[in-house]
Formats: sequence, structure tokens, C-alpha cells
Amino acid sequence: MGPDRITPELFDKLTSLAALALVESEKEYLRAELNHQLAAVRELSEIPLEEDILPTLHGLAIPPKPSRPDVSDAFPEPGKIVAQAPESEEGMFAVPDVAHRKSEEE
Amino acid sequence: MKTYEVVIGLETHIQLNTHSKIFCSCKADSWGAEPNSNICPVCSGLPGVLPVLNAEAVKKGALLAAAMHAQINPKSEFDRKNYFYPDLPKGYQITQFDEPIGKGGYMDLTLPDGHQRRVRIHKLHLEEDAGKTKISAGMRLVDFNRCGVPLVEMVTEPDLRTGEEAALYLTRLRALLRWIGVSEADMEKGHLRCDANVSVREMGSQTLNPKTEIKNLNSIDAVRQAIQEESRRQIAVMEAGGRVESYTLDWDADTSRLTKMRSKETEADYRYFREPDLLPVLLSAEEIAAIEHSLPELPLEREERFERDYHLSAYDAEILTSERSLSDYFEEALQRYGGEAKIVSNWMINDLARLMNDLGKSASELNLRPADLAELLHLLDGGKINAPTAKTVLRRVEETGKTPTAIVEEEGLGLMDDLAALRQLVAQVLKENPAEVASFRAGKESLSGWFLGQVMRRSGGKADPRQARAILLELLAAE
Amino acid sequence: MTPVMDWSAAEIARKVRSGEISAAEMLAASLERIRLTDGISGQVGLTQWDEAEERKVHAFIQISKDLAEAQAAAVDAKAARGEDPGLLAGVPVAIKDIFCVEGTHTTAGSRMLANFRPPYTATPVQRLIDAGALVVGKANMDEFAYGSSSESSAFQPSPNNPWDPTRVPGGSSGGSAASVASTEVALSLGSDTGGSIRQPSSFCGVVGMKPTYGRVSRYGMIAFASSLDCPGPLARTVSDAALMLQVIAGEDPRDSTTSQQPVPDYQLALQQDVHGLRIGLSPDYDRIVFPDVETGEIGTEPIQAEVSRAVYDAAEQLARQGAEIVEDVPMPNARHGIPTYFVISRVEASSNLHRFDGVKYGYRTAQPVSDLNELYRLSRAEGFGTEPKLRILMGMYVSSAAYSHQYYLRARKVRAMIRRDFDTAFDPAGAYRLDALLTPTTPTTAFKRKAVYGNSVLMQYADQMTVSANHAGLPALSFPGGLDGQGLPIGLQLIAGDFREDLLLRIAHAYELATRQAAWRSAVPEAVRNEASK
Repeated sequence: MGPDRITPELFDKLTSLAALALVESEKEYLRAELNHQLAAVRELSEIPLEEDILPTLHGLAIPPKPSRPDVSDAFPEPGKIVAQAPESEEGMFAVPDVAHRKSEEE
Repeated sequence: MKTYEVVIGLETHIQLNTHSKIFCSCKADSWGAEPNSNICPVCSGLPGVLPVLNAEAVKKGALLAAAMHAQINPKSEFDRKNYFYPDLPKGYQITQFDEPIGKGGYMDLTLPDGHQRRVRIHKLHLEEDAGKTKISAGMRLVDFNRCGVPLVEMVTEPDLRTGEEAALYLTRLRALLRWIGVSEADMEKGHLRCDANVSVREMGSQTLNPKTEIKNLNSIDAVRQAIQEESRRQIAVMEAGGRVESYTLDWDADTSRLTKMRSKETEADYRYFREPDLLPVLLSAEEIAAIEHSLPELPLEREERFERDYHLSAYDAEILTSERSLSDYFEEALQRYGGEAKIVSNWMINDLARLMNDLGKSASELNLRPADLAELLHLLDGGKINAPTAKTVLRRVEETGKTPTAIVEEEGLGLMDDLAALRQLVAQVLKENPAEVASFRAGKESLSGWFLGQVMRRSGGKADPRQARAILLELLAAE
Repeated sequence: MTPVMDWSAAEIARKVRSGEISAAEMLAASLERIRLTDGISGQVGLTQWDEAEERKVHAFIQISKDLAEAQAAAVDAKAARGEDPGLLAGVPVAIKDIFCVEGTHTTAGSRMLANFRPPYTATPVQRLIDAGALVVGKANMDEFAYGSSSESSAFQPSPNNPWDPTRVPGGSSGGSAASVASTEVALSLGSDTGGSIRQPSSFCGVVGMKPTYGRVSRYGMIAFASSLDCPGPLARTVSDAALMLQVIAGEDPRDSTTSQQPVPDYQLALQQDVHGLRIGLSPDYDRIVFPDVETGEIGTEPIQAEVSRAVYDAAEQLARQGAEIVEDVPMPNARHGIPTYFVISRVEASSNLHRFDGVKYGYRTAQPVSDLNELYRLSRAEGFGTEPKLRILMGMYVSSAAYSHQYYLRARKVRAMIRRDFDTAFDPAGAYRLDALLTPTTPTTAFKRKAVYGNSVLMQYADQMTVSANHAGLPALSFPGGLDGQGLPIGLQLIAGDFREDLLLRIAHAYELATRQAAWRSAVPEAVRNEASK
């Protein structure tokens, strides 16, 4: 069997993309499981595809139906949504700022 | 010395003026509302929610595509664009990636020097808006009121060449959006947002060099200025033998400065895939035909027609096609008047425009209707009133809502139509001013204006100035 | 005298409507049964408990007593006024904690949502409540529905199999199946993405259905894989499953993928026999495939012999009832179900998990953070367990720009081929002209706790019999078909054409009637037996 598809470097890149700060003890386990899964997935690329086959989204064909009419209908209690915020201020969801890398103008 | 060419593309986001958001029933317009008061589980990305497409957003998007001479695709699809940002509650934006609602399209601009510039459209698709963030004491505060407002994203090819052209494009676009009724297109309110992509190359070159992206452009002026600023900067870099690097730049309108925000990173991997919670957007041939037919005559076409058929100047034609209700008003007034277009045009561009401005009304909101204007002009033509009186009548119609004829009668504003009485009046004026008569006869011909003024005053403004002048000259010449 | 909690849902509703028993009394009975058999509810961070708890069912994360009491009072008031309190009047139900229910915490079995109180209720749950059902509690489950054993829940102890508490109830709707099997409730609302209703139903000896995709609204169901997810009923009898489906099925303007197909009267379907129905058997469902994770080589093996036997016995039973059994129906792409599922479900799952970022609701890290990115990374790493992390990372990989074509696009084509197998089998003008396909639900009966958990590939392959119906969008039903040598339930599965839930119910009901007197039907799960004898 060839080298792991998901190398430690690629794994780190994926966790960064996924916004996950993993602890060391998890990393090797997850990386190993991912590579096992990919081994199982490998056969997908070996299945001869039927010539006329089109990719499906839901399996069955969903017939079209008319879209929603343009009527506004307010949700009665928006306050309940903001009330779920881990932190809020002035009725807004509060988070720390993005790390700025604003450099000087040339 | 090398000459350089600036290459500019514009990316615009247009908020559609539907009643509700694109995927939920919250209001589309929440300007001025308290933060997070116009939200629901769907647009705030709660667990378990699903999007449901607003039919009107599709129609308006298709109408805009038609107005931009783009092809309306009978089938388009929604996709997810995945990334993390606090103003994006689901962690993905529902947009159209590879099967958008519009394909192709262009806008033709007539540049000040008379040249035509065709600005081609590279992308035209529907998507949902994100929320707004505000920085406060090192924290980001997020308001979802705007999440889910329907947007059309329209990206041009890099066909523009100056900041001035970019400003012209946006001006035309704004007028068009309002004209066809798909957006209020107020840049200050964020209905129309624009990012500019700028690069430079040697004149004659066909390749595209790395470009910078300018963000935070909140007005047409800002677009013009920022592009001009960036063009200067890039040309200076090239002339110094340097290389322009791809950056995202932020425009500060207060200081008129561009600052580097971050390197334009290799495009984040958005992992686009077909949105499984939505069905394909389908428009039948009949629906597409209906949308295309519902497209009104567009401003540019009408402008050309006004010049061609009514022989209006380019200047006049442009003003009379800058706004839909004004334009429709003009044409109706002209049709009812039946006379020279230039006359109607003058009245509209001067007196009516002033009136509308004073009152803060659009043409469709005036009490003075096109029929009234036509009637007024007929009264003028028929010598029933003179020009100064007509201006007064105009305002009186607007104030009272009565017809010009009624006002002239009720207020006794009609011109004297008794020539004999006029002759008497003129003779009287001459008799009372022998010194001036003598001066005139001695050669001071400019006094005729003074005499006319006296006659007009004596008549309470009701004399027809042309007739009065003719009689004056006749009587002054005699003896 | 039958304890009231042994009554079917239909019976309960009838008796509540007729005034023989009140909804409040039904609720009390359910809560009492739960008190006796369930033990402690799952909690985040709990790692130890009394040994006595090992034999309990632990089907629930939360018992929603106040909510259910209010619902019961409303039902009783309605009945007192002479109004119809509904098809499910006074029926105690468990709702898998993947469904938002206003007035409860909705956790999806995850620390990420341990404190989330939704301000709205999922459509299928609302329909149950409107029909008079009592939401007794939120059933425990695999975290975010990722798993086939319910062991991955952040709320421990996770559910045990009521037939043998040293074994898993299956997953991800393990709590749903366990609560129904142990007679704590009469019905449960579960969700099925790769087999998550059917597989635990099979392991726990109850009836569980995955309806046609779009038959039941997904609005309010925390999404796993949007193109595969189906809410569905779990019950002890086929007619109860039919009754529940009747209530929850039907178009929902809040879910664009729901079908406009009218909902038939499923009770009518139950009254029809199976005479002349063509029921197929496929050799491709009589064996299991499994990959060697080092080499990627695929091996095959026959399934557990008793399970295989049970399928044939059922076929014979149905033949005796007048059905035509069609053997050797090829379903050649069934074997590709799991690899296809690995790709498609992960792409959608990783995207669906993007919204859990510590910003708007749910878990946020308590550690001090210097910027937004750190907030995301720590909140997600701490809030998610292992299974979500695996799905996120796999999903990111196979949908990345570099690999999307190779994996995701290809998988969608193989999915179409899996569907095509069924189109061929069900084609009324084709070679087989089946009304339904009969297969085992799972390759084995319930496995021991901790025996498979941790091996993500092996765990996923437990779903290989069920996943094809998810890929195809077709309705499928699991129903009890006997017990194995260790007294563990064997589940049988029927798959039919789009919106032919009526056929599934009809066939399973006929089988149920025909085997009414079978010895194995008088067996009682250990958890119930333990309490009944007290």
C-alpha cells in the first residue's frame, strides 16, 4: 500500500482550514482513521462508471415546485435568538476582533 | 518613455428591493432598525433550519440580467461557498457558482469625448447578503439584520480604463437599477456596493498584470478618486522598474488614502458544492419571455430616441432620461402638448426641476400633472398669458391642484387682449415721460427696454410684452 | 392486566380519546417506567457511575416533565370539551435529541450544544404535539448522529441495549430505539442518514422506518447530510409506525425538498394482504464486504448465519401468505454504498458543522483568546468530540478544490448507479418487477459495547445493508424477524419504490400478523423483565 494520502503536513493544513485546534494526543489517532477511511474510499476511483450516468444530488428526482411568494412575515421573538449568544453587547453578538495585519501604505 | 494603460474591473453587489429576504420571510429592508430585530432562525443560521427561495428575487435578478443584455438561463443552481466569518451565520454563503442566472451581458457607455466603451459582464448571479459588523473596543459586534437580503453580484470584465469611466458606469448602473425597479441603489445605504480591481500594463499589451483590489468604496466619488489614486501609484511603481503586487487595499474617504489590508492570498478553498437544501431555479420559456417583455425601454435607448425623434440635445436627453418618473412625465406632457419638444424640455429642466427640488418631490408626486403642463404651454402659445405669469401659474397649480385655466381665470392673470387699451396705455406712458422719449429719439435706443418695463408695470404684468414692444416702437418712431 | 406502557400507541390514543384513561395518567405511567428502567440520564463530562447503572437503559439525555405535563393538560382539556384531541392523544413519545423542540435543550448529543435552547420547534415534532402526543424526553444519540452504536454521545452513560445491557442499542438513534423497546414510551421520532433508524431498530427488536427522502420535513432537524437525512418513526408494531408516519408526513413550506405527493391513508394499506406482491431477494445483500484498511483490498464474507436464515424464513412466511418471492435479484452496486457514503455524507456534514463556531449559540471556549481565529479553533476543538472532527476533516479533504472531482463528483455518480439498481429491480416493465426488496437490516445482531467503537471504518460498515436506501432516496423499513441464539433481536428490511411506504407497511404487517404466535415474540427485553418482576 502506498504512502499515506494524508501526511502530517496535509493534516495540519486541514485542521487549520477546519478551524480546529487539536491536542497532540488526538492528532495521530484522527490522521490514522482518516487514512483508513481513504483506503476504503479508494475503490470509488476503480469502479467503472456507466457511460451515461449523471451525478445525482438526492437519489430520487425531485419535481420542480413554485418558490415562495414575496411576503414578509416577521419572526415574533428575535430576542430569543440573541439570548443564545455566549457573549453579546448592545443586542449584538460579540466576538474578539480578527488579528489585523494592516501594513503601512507604500 | 513608455505609456501605460490602466485596466479596471468592477465588482458590484446590488441589494434587490423585494419585500422579504431571499431565503426567509424577514423583511428585506431593515434600514434604521435596532440590531438583530429583523432576524429569524433561518437567516441567523440556527441549527436545523432550511432556506426557502423567494420567487421575486429570481424575477428581479432575471430582469436585471435582461436589462444588461445578458441571457437569462432557464436553469440555474445554488451552491454553498464555505468559510468562517462572524457575519456569515451558517459558515457558508448560499450563492451561484457554476450555473448562474445570467450569462454574458454588457453596458455601453458614451465617454465624454464621444467614444463608446462597451463594458462586458463576466458574472451575474444571485446570492444572499451577510450581516454587518461594528468594531467596538477591540471586539467585533455582529448584527444579522442584513443577513439573507437578496443580492445580485455583477462583475465586469476589465474593460474600463479610468476612474472617470468607472464613475460613469456606476452612475449609469444606479440609474438603470432604479429605472427598472429592482433596487433603490443608494450607495450610502449599501444598496449598491462596489469593489474595484486595478492593474496597469504597457499601452498595447494584451496581458493582464497582477491587480489590486480596492475595498470600502462608499460613493461614486470614492470609486473615482480611489482608482485615480491607485492608478498613479501603480504607474509610479512601474516607471521605477518595480512590480505591482496583489494586495487588498482599503480606501479611507476622510483622508483620501489607500492602505494595504492584506496580501491577496491564494484564493481560500471555498469547497463549493451544490446546495442540497434547494431545488434548481427553473424559468420556463414563457416566464423568460414575459420577463423580457416586461423590460421597459431602457434609459440609454430612450435617450437616443429623444435625440433622434425629438431632436433634443444630448444634454437635455440625458437629463430627461436620468429618472423614470421624470422621463415618463416629459413624454406624456409632450404628447398632450403636441408642439415642439424643446419647449417642453426647457420647462421641465428649468422650472419643473426647480419646483421638484424645492418641494422634495419626484415627478410622479407632483400635483401638477403632465396634462397641466401641456395646458399651460397652450395658454402661453395662445397669448393668453405671458412667460412670467406662466411661472406663477405653474406654482399655483402645484399649490392648489386646480388647472391652469381655472387659476388664470380666478386670479385674473390673463393677458390684456384688448389692443386698443394697450395702445392707450403705451401712449400714456410715453406722454408721462417726455424726457426719455426725447432721449430715445436722439439715439438712446436702449431706453426701449425701460419703456417696456414701465408699460408692463402699468398693466400689472398683463400686457403681452411682444405686442407692447411692437406698439412702443411704432409710437416712438412716429412723430 | 397489561401494564399501560405495554399498550400500543393506537390503543393508548383510543383509550385517551374515549376517556378510559387520561393523558396525565399516561404521562405518569411513562415517567414511572422510565424511573424504573432508565437510570440516570446522560450528562456531559460524566465518566463514572454506580455499577447498578450498568444494567439500565439510559435512553434519555433529558426528561421534559414540565413540557409533557402542559401537553397532557391540553389534551385532557380538549377531550373534556368534547373536541378531538388527535390521532396520538396522550401517547408518550421520545424525541431524538437532534430535533429542535422549544422548551427543551436540544443538544444533538454534543457538548457543542449542551446549553442550546431553540426558539422554535421542528415540524415533525410540532405535528406530533398537534396530534396530542406527549414529548416525554429527548433521546440520547451518537454525537450529531455520527455513528452506529450511540457510544459517541458526549452525554454519558450512552444508551444500552434493553435486550442485553452489555451491548449497544445501535445508532445513531440508539436512545429512540431503546426507549421504545423498553416500553418507556410508545413511539419515538428518529433520524436516518445511513441507517440510523433502521439499524438500532434491528438491534433493539422494534419497527423503524426511513421514509422516502422528502416525505417528512427536515425543518428543525439538526442537519448531518442534507441530501440523505430522513426523519422517521420507531414503534413496537407496524401499525403504530403507520400511525406515526400518518401524522408526521406531508409537504412543509419550510422545507423545499419535501414532496407535494399526497399522503395516503396508511391504515388502508395495512388492511391489504400481500397476495400477488413480488418480493425480491438479492445475493448482494446476503454477504458483507469489508476493506483491509492497510491495503484497501475488499474482502467479502457471508453475513451472520442466523440473520441470513431469518431472511429466508421471512420470505417463506410471506410466500405462504401469497406473495411471489423473486430470488437472485442483482444489486451489483450495493457493495459501493459505504465508500460512496464516506464521501458524500462527509462533504455535507463538514459544511453543516461550519455554523458551530462559538459565536451565536452553543459552546464557546472558556480559555482566554487573543483573536477571532483562536476563538473558533478552541471552541470547535473543545466542543466537538472525535466523530465530528473525523467527519469535518474527511469532508474538507474530499471536497477540496484539488480532490473534489476525484471524490465528490465521482461519488455522486456511483450514487446514481446505486439508485439505478433499484430502478431496474422495481421497473414494472423490467425483468424483476419487484414491489419490494427483502434484505437483512444489519449483517450482525447487536455487538458488545466498546467492541467496535474507535474503529471508524468498521463502525461505518455496520450500515452497509441500510445505506443504499439513503443513497437512492427510497423508503425502507426494518421490522423484527426473530432472535438469534443469544436471544438478541434480528432485524429484517424491506425497501420499496418512491413514496411506496404503503407497500412496506403492508408487507411487514402481514408478516407480523402471520408470526403473531411465534415463540420469539413472547420474549421480553431484559431491562423490562427486570422491572416487571419487581
